[in-house]
Amino acid sequence: MNTTFKEENNDFVMYFEGRLDTAAAPQVEHETAALTDCTGHDIILDCSNLEYISSSGLRIFLSILKNAKPKGSHVYIRGLNDELRQVFSMTGFVNLFEFK
Amino acid sequence: MIDSTLIFLGFSVHAWITIFTVVSIFIVMSRSRIPAEVAFLGALTILLVTGVVTEEEGMAGFGSEPVVVHAAFFVIIAGLMQTGVLYWLTKNVLGDPRNYKNALLRLMVPTSIMAALLNSVNVVALFIDAVKIWSRKLNIPPSKLLLPLSYAATLGGMCTLLGNSSNLVVAGLYMSKTGQSLNVFEPLLPGLVLTIVGVALVMLLHRYIPPHESAEQSFETTSDYTVELLVPTDNPAVGETVEDAGLMNVKGGSLVEIVRFDREIIMPVPKDEWIIGGDRLIYAGQINEILELKRTHGLAAADHHVWSINDIDTKRRMRTAYVTFGSELIGMSMTECDFEQKNNVALIAVARQGKRVEGQPREIKLEAGDTLLLECPPKGEDQLEQTNRRLLTFFDSHFVPQLGKKTITSAVILVLMFIISSFHMLPLMATTMLAAGVMMILGCCRITNVTKYIEWELLLILGATVVFSVAITKTGIADVIAQQVLQLCNGNPYLVMAVMCLLASLVSEFVSDVGASAVFFPIVYHQAELLGCNPLPFVMSLMLSVTLSFASPIGSSTHMLIYGPGSFRFTDFARLGIVMHIVLMVVMLFVIYAIYPL
Repeated sequence: MNTTFKEENNDFVMYFEGRLDTAAAPQVEHETAALTDCTGHDIILDCSNLEYISSSGLRIFLSILKNAKPKGSHVYIRGLNDELRQVFSMTGFVNLFEFK
Repeated sequence: MIDSTLIFLGFSVHAWITIFTVVSIFIVMSRSRIPAEVAFLGALTILLVTGVVTEEEGMAGFGSEPVVVHAAFFVIIAGLMQTGVLYWLTKNVLGDPRNYKNALLRLMVPTSIMAALLNSVNVVALFIDAVKIWSRKLNIPPSKLLLPLSYAATLGGMCTLLGNSSNLVVAGLYMSKTGQSLNVFEPLLPGLVLTIVGVALVMLLHRYIPPHESAEQSFETTSDYTVELLVPTDNPAVGETVEDAGLMNVKGGSLVEIVRFDREIIMPVPKDEWIIGGDRLIYAGQINEILELKRTHGLAAADHHVWSINDIDTKRRMRTAYVTFGSELIGMSMTECDFEQKNNVALIAVARQGKRVEGQPREIKLEAGDTLLLECPPKGEDQLEQTNRRLLTFFDSHFVPQLGKKTITSAVILVLMFIISSFHMLPLMATTMLAAGVMMILGCCRITNVTKYIEWELLLILGATVVFSVAITKTGIADVIAQQVLQLCNGNPYLVMAVMCLLASLVSEFVSDVGASAVFFPIVYHQAELLGCNPLPFVMSLMLSVTLSFASPIGSSTHMLIYGPGSFRFTDFARLGIVMHIVLMVVMLFVIYAIYPL
């Protein structure tokens, strides 16, 4: 599981690649700390190369959202494949996030 | 075909196959969950394939008297049930006793009489619910009344051929040997003495009956149960913490575990844990209060994922059921089987002997006698009970028929059936078939679906048991055992009878009365012939001794029926049952010696 952080057009973009399962979650959580100080930036979570997300992965996404909202930042999710979209639908996360 | 002339250790190869088959079937039945009818048919197959019995001998049992009488009797019982005769009896016999001893008498006397006429299993099945409601009214633990109910029915069943299934098996085998059919009231005198002594023993030793609270009563009152509820996708709590959503400490309990959609378990649950759609929230606490969360917080009781609380029928009902003996659910958890999906029910909680079972209810490996709280569809109660009658027994199973003219008609048919068969105006087989036919013609029992009321499993068992008797006689086992026991007892017929009764009753205690009677009949009959005695006392003592199984719940079908509802433990039956077994055995032998000249 790899993550890459980039700043593109004033947005914070985090690229996820591989399987975000329970084992990978602690490392990914550590790496997403880069998104904590997001005042004045919107956040894009790019999932184009994400193959799988577990409930612990969803918790990380939710933490990012809960941190960004009070700071006035939007959190967008980009490039979900059909399988991941189904997980987001089933867990009710489609109602929490914005999608690009 | 195997060479049957080869002799090894005194027995032919066919005899050894028979011994091996009989012993294995006894082990299989006492140690495994394989249904009895499958075990019996398996044994029949082995004996047929190896050539021990011929096709004709193997199949003869299925057309025998016990099978036909039972089949007809199921129809008669259905008629009595549908016209309300049985409903009227359960409502009116129990009454309002002054104290526990009086309650025992009010319960045991009528149920033993009814068991003699309607078969012990039918009577216990009928009375379980009525006795449980009665026990609540009298403030007596249900186990203190259910055990006497089962004992009284077994005792009463000894009085007629129809009272216990094994009586008919013995009578059928006797007829095939001698060509003489026994009167339906043949065992009345010894049966009556045993019933009186048995009832007196229960009255005298009632303090040895364990007082267990009923499990479903505990569901209502205890503060310590585990309940599982699902978060539907569109629940407003999704994305909130458990504390903010008001789901952490709730009225009557607290959240102990979250099981995520991908089966990840969060335990203990921190108060800032997020809620995700599809979560299963496991609460410990008082069931009624926790179930309120369905209404107040939009949670659902479901076996499958739910997108919206609106998808759940709000009219679904809570029902309590027991895991029956030999149920296929034993040893499995709800997540391992498709029981919930097949029946459109959801398991909410499990209680074992009135106590909480740790862990997620749907992951609990079930045991016989466990009480399940299930959320069921609002309609189709009867169908749910019928389809699952071998897995679960529902507590709130109440069929309330209309009382009317047909109630009297069916009661008259039953009385006439007994009069005709007791005066030998027609053979028992013909009488019961006639009664079943008249029940249908006069509209006491619905003709369509009439086969639904027949318990085919029991008929298969009864049909297959006859083959044991044939094989044991044919292969010379009966002769060898009979001779050996005669030698050991110095040819004393009284001693021989006592030893055989003791052996048969012990086997019956651990296997089944029907199986024990089929195996022991040819040996006992042959002994009577060798001794030059009248075989009837031997046969009657066997008939009565196989039903003396009071010390283990598997010894009698009636004990198995009350096991779950009474929250019994396996050893509970032994406390009073061993004394009953010994005393009644001695009394039975004396009564038989006194009534029947050898």
